[in-house]
Amino acid sequence: MTQILFKDINKEGLHTMKVYEGLGGYQSLKKAFAQKPEEIVEAVKASGLRGRGGAGFPTGLKWSFLAKDVFPRYLCCNADESEPGTCKDRELLLKNPHLLIEGMILCSYACRIETGYIYFRGEFQDLSFIMDKALDEARAKGYLGKNILGSGFDLDIHTHLGAGAYICGEESALLNSLEGGRGEPRMKPPFPAVEGLYSKPTVINNVETLCAVPYIVSEGADKYAALGTEKSKGTKLVSVSGHVKKPGNYEIEMGTPTSELIYNLAGGIQNDNKLKAFIPGGSSVPMLPADKVDTPYDYESLAEAGTMLGSGALIVIDDSINIVEATLRLISFYMHESCGKCTPCREGTRWLHQIVERIMQNKGQLEYITRLEDICDNMAFKTFCPLADACVAPVVSSIKYFRADYEEYFKNVPAGAAS
Amino acid sequence: MSDVTLTIDGKTVTVPKGTKVVDAAKQVEVDIPVFCYHEKIGPLGCCRMCLVEVEKMPKLMTACTMDVAPDMVVKTVGDKVEKAQKGVLEFTLLNHPLDCPVCDKGGECPLQDNTFKYGPPDTRMEFHRANNVKAAPLSPVITIDRERCIACQRCTAYSERIEQDRGLVMLNRGFHNEVNTFNNEPYDNRFSGNVIDICPVGALTNTDFRFKARTWDLENHDTLCANCGCNCNITLGTRLNEFMRIEARPNDAVDDGWICDKGRWGHHFMESKNKITAARENSVGKTEPTSFPNFPINAPAEQAAEKVIEIFKNIAEEHGPESIGFLGSPYATNEEGYLYQKLFRLLGTNNIDHKSYQDTPGLPIRHFDVEEIENSNIVLLIACDPTEELPILDLRIKKAVSRCGTKLLSLNDQDTALDKYAELKVKYKVGSEASAVDALAEGLARELGESIDFSSDLGPTGISDEDMKSLVEAVRSSMKICVVYNPAALSGDTSLRVKRLLSVIARIPTIECGAIPAAPATNAVGAVDMGLLPDFYPGGVPVSDSEKVKELWGENAPTKPGLSASEMIAKAKSGDLKALWIHRSNPVVDFPGGEQVVEALKNLDLLVVHDMLETETTQLAKIVLPSNGPGFDEGTTTNIGGRVQARRKALEANSIDDWKLIQVMLKKLGDESSYSRVAKVLNEISQKVPGYQEINSRFVGKQGCNREQVAGEEVSPGNVESAASSNGKLQLRVATYLFAHDKILDASSKLAYHFKPSSAFLNESDAGKIGVSNGDRVSISGNGTEMEAEVTIDNRCMEGGVVVPRISDEQGVNGLGNPDGSPAWVDIKKA
Repeated sequence: MTQILFKDINKEGLHTMKVYEGLGGYQSLKKAFAQKPEEIVEAVKASGLRGRGGAGFPTGLKWSFLAKDVFPRYLCCNADESEPGTCKDRELLLKNPHLLIEGMILCSYACRIETGYIYFRGEFQDLSFIMDKALDEARAKGYLGKNILGSGFDLDIHTHLGAGAYICGEESALLNSLEGGRGEPRMKPPFPAVEGLYSKPTVINNVETLCAVPYIVSEGADKYAALGTEKSKGTKLVSVSGHVKKPGNYEIEMGTPTSELIYNLAGGIQNDNKLKAFIPGGSSVPMLPADKVDTPYDYESLAEAGTMLGSGALIVIDDSINIVEATLRLISFYMHESCGKCTPCREGTRWLHQIVERIMQNKGQLEYITRLEDICDNMAFKTFCPLADACVAPVVSSIKYFRADYEEYFKNVPAGAAS
Repeated sequence: MSDVTLTIDGKTVTVPKGTKVVDAAKQVEVDIPVFCYHEKIGPLGCCRMCLVEVEKMPKLMTACTMDVAPDMVVKTVGDKVEKAQKGVLEFTLLNHPLDCPVCDKGGECPLQDNTFKYGPPDTRMEFHRANNVKAAPLSPVITIDRERCIACQRCTAYSERIEQDRGLVMLNRGFHNEVNTFNNEPYDNRFSGNVIDICPVGALTNTDFRFKARTWDLENHDTLCANCGCNCNITLGTRLNEFMRIEARPNDAVDDGWICDKGRWGHHFMESKNKITAARENSVGKTEPTSFPNFPINAPAEQAAEKVIEIFKNIAEEHGPESIGFLGSPYATNEEGYLYQKLFRLLGTNNIDHKSYQDTPGLPIRHFDVEEIENSNIVLLIACDPTEELPILDLRIKKAVSRCGTKLLSLNDQDTALDKYAELKVKYKVGSEASAVDALAEGLARELGESIDFSSDLGPTGISDEDMKSLVEAVRSSMKICVVYNPAALSGDTSLRVKRLLSVIARIPTIECGAIPAAPATNAVGAVDMGLLPDFYPGGVPVSDSEKVKELWGENAPTKPGLSASEMIAKAKSGDLKALWIHRSNPVVDFPGGEQVVEALKNLDLLVVHDMLETETTQLAKIVLPSNGPGFDEGTTTNIGGRVQARRKALEANSIDDWKLIQVMLKKLGDESSYSRVAKVLNEISQKVPGYQEINSRFVGKQGCNREQVAGEEVSPGNVESAASSNGKLQLRVATYLFAHDKILDASSKLAYHFKPSSAFLNESDAGKIGVSNGDRVSISGNGTEMEAEVTIDNRCMEGGVVVPRISDEQGVNGLGNPDGSPAWVDIKKA
C-alpha cells in the first residue's frame, strides 16, 4: 500500500534535521518558491486533499476563501488531537515534526502568511518540546525566519499549549484559547478565513492535512489524486483501537474496506471473539454493527452507511461488551467536556447520563428508551458547535442497532414501575 | 447601508443590512423568544431559545445570530420550531428551581413568560434537581442565586462588551459552569448594577431590594437620575410611599439603556437622618438683626419663606438691590431655577449665579445630543474624564470607539481611564489649558487661512509641536466631530476660549460638528439656560440688551450686570453684600476658597439656605428652609446633550415642593402669575426662554426632547497672560469623582467600597524634587489651608502639577483653591 505520511516513520532519528533532510526533506520548498503562491493553492485543490481533522472540507478551497488583501494572516495548525480513539497526529508529531513544519511553510507561502501557530493539546507537552527543537533546527537552517531560501518570503512558527479541553479542537474555540480567552466556540459567520485569530484571516488545518502537502507539491497533485476513490483522494491515517490484536496507526489508501483494517492490518479481534460493533471515525460518529464491516473506508461510503469518517479513529467493540455501558462511558466523556455555552448540550448531556445510569441500575422504565431518543432529537443540530451532535451519535446509533441490549435491563422490571 | 427585504411568517419586512432576524421580526410584531440575546449587547447564541426555520437551511437556525438576507423566508411557528422551543425550555428548566413564589424576578421574568407562552406544560425530569448556592454576594450590592442561573451569559457578555473590563466571567465548564469573578474578587465596577436589569431570571438580584416586595405590588415612576449631567432615565419603584428600587429605563438618546451604580444605589440620602424636614432659625450670624421678626421655630416652610423674602425686600430697599444675592443650584430643576431667578430679578438684582467657574449660555456650533457621539467619526475630549465625572458617557464613548468606528482624541492635563481607547492623546501642563485650547484654535485657523486676533504660545503647555500638529490635522480632516468639554474643569476664562475654538471648527467647510458641554452637575446646562447667571437672562439674553430684557421681563427688570458667585463671596467678606440666598448648593465645600468662603458667609447679615440635606453651609445659615430633592420633586432638567426631560415625583414629601414655595414668595412680592401645576411653569418657560419655545410637558413625554439652540455671544478673549513663576510650588488640579464620599453617598452607603483614600498624584520628577516616594503621607498647603494626602507617583499629570481627586467632603481639597477661581498653586511637603 502506498505510504506517504508513514513512509519512513520508523526510521531512527527521523525527528532530526539531518535524517529528515537526508530522506529528501524540505526539497519541496525550492519547487514551491519557483511557483506563484496561487499555483500551490490550485495544486492542493487539484489533489482533492480534504481536511483530516474530522469535517473533511476540501483544503485548497479553504485556503482560497481567505479574505482578499487583508494582512497579516495567520496559520493555525490544529494539534489538539482530542477525539477519543484518535492518536495519529501524535505519532506524526512525535516521530516526524519536520514534515509538519515543511507542510506549514508550504501552506504559509501559498496563503501569504507570515506567522504560524501550532496549538497542542495540554497533554502534548512532551511533543511540544520535540517540536520546539525541530523549529529551532529549521530556523538555524534558514527554513524559517526572514527571506527563506532567498525567496523573499518570511515566516516564523510558534508552539502553544492548550489547557486540556476537548472543545478546543473545534477551530473557533481553538482560536479563543490561543488568544488567551475561554475555550468556547465562536459565532460563524464570520468564518476564520475572514475573521479568525486576532480578527484576521486565518487558515486552520489539522496536522495530518498539512503533512500531506509536501507530497502534493513535490510529487504533483495528479499523483496524489490518483490514490483513493473518486471523491476521497489520497491516503488516510487510521488509529485502530479497541479489541484488536494489533492496535495502532495505519496508513491506508482511501476506500480500503474496513474489514481489511480490522482483520488484516490490526490482526483481527482479540481472544478470537466476534466483532459486535465498530465506531469508524472517533467517538463522535455513530457506531455501526458488525454486518457493515465491509464498508469501504472513505468519506462517501461511510456517510452512506449512516456514519462518518471523522478523524479516522476506528474503535472496535467485540461481543464481550455491553453496548449500554459503552454508551454511558461515551456520554460521560461529552458531559465532562461540554463547555456549557448552549443549553441543550449543557443540560442534555447530563440528563442523558442520568437516564442511562438509571437504566443500568435496573431502575428505569421501558419508555426511557423513547425518551432518550426524544432528548437526543432535541439536542441534535440545535447547538452552536457539533459537541451535542457528537454526544447524541452513540446514543442514537446504539439504540438503533442494539435495542435489545437496552431492553435487557427492563426484563425484570414491570412497565411503569417507580423509578 | 442598503436595505434587505425578507419574509417572516408570511409578513414582508425591509430592514437595514446587518440586522439580526430576531430584530427584524420585532418590526412585524412577530415574537421570537430569547434569553441570551440583548439588542445592546449583541448576539451570543447560548440559550438556543430563538431557533427558527429558514427556508433552504437544513437545520433550525438561531434568529439572534443570523443576519437577514435578501428573500430569506423565516418561519417562527410550525411543528419543527415548536418542538425545538419546548425542548430548549425543558432543558432550561431542568435544573431551575421552581421558587417563583419567593423569587424577586417573579412577575417580570422572561423565563416565566416564555414558559407560559412556548414551554412544555410538564417536565420529564424525575431526578433530583441540582442544588447550588442560593445567595452568594458578588459585591455589597449584588447577590447571585446560583440555582436560578440559566447560564445564558448575558451578564458576562455585558461585562466584556459594554463595561469592557471582564469583571464578570464564566468559570468552569459544562454543567458546572458559573457566573463569577476572576479570583473571587468583588464585582465592583461602576456599572455592575445593570446585570440585574438584564438577567432574564432571578439569579442576579439587587441586595437592597431582595425579598422586599413583589414586582406587581410596585408603583413604577418613570423619572430621571439626579446624580450627574447625564440625566439617565430610571424607573423608581415604590410601595406604600416607600422607596423600593431603581431600574434603568432605556433611552437611546441619553443612556443607551444603562445606568451607573450611583444612579441605582445612591438614593439613601432620601431617608437620611440629615434630611431637612422643616424650616428653622439658627442662632448664628454676626449680629442679631433687629429687623428680624419673631421667627417661630419649625414653622411651616411657606410661612417662613414669606417672612424671609420680605426681609430680603427690606434689605434691598435699605441698602440697594446690589446688597442681596442669590446662589442657585445646578442640581435643581429648570422650573426651580427659572422661578428663583424671576424672584430675585423681581427684587431688582442681577446678583445671581450657580457655579464657581466661568461659563456662558449657548454654543457657536450645534449642541449635540449624547447619541451623536456614535455617529461622529471623531470625538475630541477637552479636560474631560467621563469615567469619573459622567460614567454613562464613558460607556457611550467605549461603544462608539469599539463598535461604531469612532476615533477618540483627548486634550487633557491628566491621564484618564479612557486614554487607552484614544487614537491620539495630547497632554498639557496643569493650569495651561487656556494656551493649549488657543493653540489648537490658532492651528486650525491657520489651516483655514483665516486671520485671527489672538496668538497662542505652546511654551507653557509642554505640548510638542508635532503633537499639536497631529491634533490639528486629526480635527481638520474629520468628517463629523463631536467636542466634549468640561467647563467646570477649565480655569479662568478657558471655557470662553473653547467656544472660540468651536467657532473656528464650525468654519471648516467639510466638517459636520457639534459639542457637548459636559459639566458634571445634574442640571448644569439647565441652570445656564434658565439664566442663573449675573449677566444673562434665561435663554442667553444678555442683561445689557435692555430692549429685549424689557420686552420679556418688564420695564423694571434690572439691566446692570450682577455679581458672579465668587464676586458675591468677596463682597460678602467686604460687607457690601448683606444678604445671600442659597438654593441647594454647598459653597463651603464645593467652591474654591474653603475657610475664606466660611468667613464671608459668616459676615453676612442674613444667610438663607434652602436645601434638602444638612451641609457645612446650612450650619452657617440664619434661616434654613427644607427642599425635597430628587424622588420627591418634579420638573424638567436639561442634560449635557441639551435634552429636556421630566423628573417626576415618586414619593410624597411632608414639605412643600420647592417650586410651590418659590411661588408663595413671588406672590408675596406681588407677582401675579399663578401655577396650578408644575407644567404651567414649563409653559411660561416656553414663552419666556428663547430655545425652549417648543418645550411643553406633552412634548417632553417619557423620552425627553431637545431644546432649540440657545443663543450665544461671539466671544473674543484676549491673549493668555504669562503665568506667575512657580516658586517651587505645584499647580493644583482637582479631579472630580462622582463616587465620592459626600452628602449623597455617606459612610453608611453600600457603595462605600468605591471611596478612595485622599491621594496626590505626582509626576516622577516633582516627587524627586520634593523627596517623596509612593505611599508617603504629604501635607498639601495653599490659600492658607492644609490637607493631607498619600502620594502616588504615576505621571498622571506633567511636571509642575499635582492632581488631587476630590474624594470626600471632609477632605477639603477645594479649600486649597483661590476663591476667585484662578489657578491655584500649592506647596507639598512630607508630613
